[in-house]
Amino acid sequence: MESRSRHFKANAAASLANPVLQTNLKTAKGKFVDKRAIAIKEIDDFEGSREAAKNIRNRVLENLDLWLEKFEESATARGATVLWAKDGEEICRHVAEIGQRHGVQKAAKSKSMLSEEANLNLALTAAGIRPIETDLGEYILQINDNEPPSHIIAPVVHKSLDEVADLFHQVHKTPRKTEIPALTREAREVLREHFLTADMGISGGNFLVAETGSVALVTNEGNGRMVTTLPRVHVVITGIEKVVPTLEDLTLLLRLLPRSATGQSISNYVSVLTGVKTPEERDGPEHLYFILVDNGRADVVGTEFQDMLRCIRCGACMNHCPVYQTIGGHAYGWVYPGPMGSVLTPLYTGLENAIDLPQAATLCNQCGVVCPVMIPLPELLRRLREKQVEKHLRPWFERFALKIWAKVAASPSLYALGSWLGVRYLKWLAGGRDRIAVLSAAPEWTLGRDFPAPEGKTFRELYRKGKK
Amino acid sequence: MRVALFVTCLVDLMRPRIGFAAIELLEAAGCDVIVPAGQTCCGQPVWNSGDRAAAAALAKKVIDEFVGSEYVVVPSGSCADQIRNEYPVILADEPEWRARAVELAGRVYELTDFLVNVAHIKTLPGNFSGSVTYHDSCTGLRGMGIKEQPRALLAKMSGVELKEMAAAEECCGFGGTFSVKFGEISAAIAAKKCGNACATGAQTIVGGDLGCLLNIEGKLRRLGDETTQVRHIAEVLTAKK
Amino acid sequence: MSSREDILGRVRARLGRNTENAATARKDIEAAIDGRVQGPRPAVPTDTAGLVAWFEEKSAAQSSSLDRVATLADAPAAVARYLAGMNLPLRAVIWPSLAGLDWRAAGIEVAPRGAVDSDLVGITGCFCAIAETGTLMACSAPDHPATVSLLPETHIALVPMSRIVPGMEDAWNLARAELGSLPRAVNFISGPSRTGDIEQTIVLGAHGPYRVHLVIVERE
Ligand code: SF4
Repeated sequence: MESRSRHFKANAAASLANPVLQTNLKTAKGKFVDKRAIAIKEIDDFEGSREAAKNIRNRVLENLDLWLEKFEESATARGATVLWAKDGEEICRHVAEIGQRHGVQKAAKSKSMLSEEANLNLALTAAGIRPIETDLGEYILQINDNEPPSHIIAPVVHKSLDEVADLFHQVHKTPRKTEIPALTREAREVLREHFLTADMGISGGNFLVAETGSVALVTNEGNGRMVTTLPRVHVVITGIEKVVPTLEDLTLLLRLLPRSATGQSISNYVSVLTGVKTPEERDGPEHLYFILVDNGRADVVGTEFQDMLRCIRCGACMNHCPVYQTIGGHAYGWVYPGPMGSVLTPLYTGLENAIDLPQAATLCNQCGVVCPVMIPLPELLRRLREKQVEKHLRPWFERFALKIWAKVAASPSLYALGSWLGVRYLKWLAGGRDRIAVLSAAPEWTLGRDFPAPEGKTFRELYRKGKK
Repeated sequence: MRVALFVTCLVDLMRPRIGFAAIELLEAAGCDVIVPAGQTCCGQPVWNSGDRAAAAALAKKVIDEFVGSEYVVVPSGSCADQIRNEYPVILADEPEWRARAVELAGRVYELTDFLVNVAHIKTLPGNFSGSVTYHDSCTGLRGMGIKEQPRALLAKMSGVELKEMAAAEECCGFGGTFSVKFGEISAAIAAKKCGNACATGAQTIVGGDLGCLLNIEGKLRRLGDETTQVRHIAEVLTAKK
Repeated sequence: MSSREDILGRVRARLGRNTENAATARKDIEAAIDGRVQGPRPAVPTDTAGLVAWFEEKSAAQSSSLDRVATLADAPAAVARYLAGMNLPLRAVIWPSLAGLDWRAAGIEVAPRGAVDSDLVGITGCFCAIAETGTLMACSAPDHPATVSLLPETHIALVPMSRIVPGMEDAWNLARAELGSLPRAVNFISGPSRTGDIEQTIVLGAHGPYRVHLVIVERE
């Protein structure tokens, strides 16, 4: 997917000005946050579980090369083919080739963020394979002219019931329905046909289990089961960081993932899929491919950003992020929004292509405390800011202002002078009122709020004079 | 107890009365208070902006200035967090300085935490009366564990009625430099905070970090709310009827 | 250079891989896999009555409906009652492994095979069931086709009481002990399929069943 992260500010302004989006975001936030809070109470030792989850993920990352080889060995032993892709283009090439090899005309897809990274649907269409998104949210986006998702768990969180009703009415040419169950049934009927006729199923993978060579897929709708049960060919596309050692480790992570994501104790379907069908079996794919994808991940291994690779894509960080809650996912401009996206996007698409993202956070650490694998997201955002400064990627006036502040704050006498002047200037600006309506030194502040006026003298002046 | 007050640059510039209120509280708790004269800024703005060198220089300056004081008390959770939790990180590559940072970290406290858990303050100098709602500033809450301390202090004031707001622990949208880089987003987040705070019907919004308070007050006034007061916890604890 | 070598090569370089630390790391991998250390687990009762009650409670929370029968032979009649009560046809696709029960006597016409689109009711057993979350574990096999629990709008599962285990860890141990290696598909099923994609409002019956009915069998 082409990144629009460079236009973050403009995107965000559009989101703020969109009343429908604002309402939708508010509804969604309430549901996600409250449900998670209830669901984590079912785990007696939630913090201990987070710690254990973090350790499991770290254990793999610390020896990722060997764990990948182990996974490959286990998967191959069960008849799967393991392929590797450096970038999105190579993902597309692999899938197209697999499609051609097996005479595929239609591919049913369950949700895969990597296919978004790779823009896979476009490539499939070009290769003569018809891609059908089967996750309800992703399907809605696909029939809405391939709109990008705005959330990694709830792709159409930005859309209202009304918008979906209009869309179905237009695209399916059916009478307009206004009840969510009726719309869901309509999609079920359209998609059922596709499940039954697809030659290839494409899925992401929530986890790869090294012990058994399995992929674990978590879905609620059952589409993940459909695309891995009915078509002849199953292609799993996952990042190289998704390996976990054992089924026990998988189990622990499965306790945290749905609770953090949607507040469920378990997703309706967890499928652990290993190898191809036996000749006696009545269902299941004859061919199973794993495409293990780098697309920026390998270069994060062993760096100060490695913690980010622990991410299990639960979405809790964005659900709890004050910025995400205010502007939604599209503003971030690439596949991953919210705090995790603000770390991943610059790492995967280039620091200079997502200048605003690491800055667009209050560092409130609400994300860090909910992250089930304890990724220190604010600290990673801060490190990215440090990288921006090192590479001279910040605008000149910001660098200038910071340099001045650093100089002034380092020297008590300069600081005394500067603060004496500054405070009087602000007081003068306020003109006798208790607030300043337009602050040209920091125009962004007064775009949406006033700037309270200072008292008029500095603490140090008053303290020195011994008066209160 | 000998306490050195770290005033913070924002209090110095914008609300000196908070600094004096902090001194009054510390003295009421039986502390001898000094205010080292050369102090300026803890360096959080430059550190959070990615300027490690500038942050390190300011960290060293603060470490030097507060040598020898038994305790360092800060009327701001986020500046206290910067000193306690970030200085050792900033100076990680300079073992000698790092050791000094860790030593300082052991004696730096946020004001309300210090009053409750170290100085065990008995009686408060103020007798504020009215209804208040308390905003938990992010870094104080999640970095320094400031949650019960200000509430324990407010509970000592018979005239105070605490009305908890919904989502008290959610960010007000200030975020330091974030507030001047992404003003619209910042102000939109502040609007939600104001909504939650005002929904309690409290007359005064109280917090422990001036940055958040300026943000909230600025948004309230822009929204046309001229009556709700916004006060630092130290101001409330020392307010006289 | 192949992409595999390129990717692994860069990971190796970043991790400072050499023959020595590779040997140590391989030991860690073997240790992890042999150790199969379990993480913290929520407390679940371990006595049979407590376990079954827990399973029933959690299953209900997943929107599964429940029934109990004394023996497997009683199951067809219970299923028939359920179908009649729900106004569903007395016709079902069924796991071939369950074909030996006397369905005809209960008035149910069964087809032991994989499911097709037109099947309205699917009847399965389970490998085991998990009390912690109210979850069925189904293992694919020639006489346990995965489609039976997936395509029909109504899924009915027979759950022997003796196969209810506390947590997923116990299910894995049971699978290792009884099956050796994992079957092609292990499906954990917790209630009917659902979606919350439109306005985060949960709707039961997305692509899979609209209803899941569990018949707990006390004795085999
Ligand atoms: S960073 Fe943490 S909270 Fe965010 S999606 Fe990843 S695992 Fe979930």
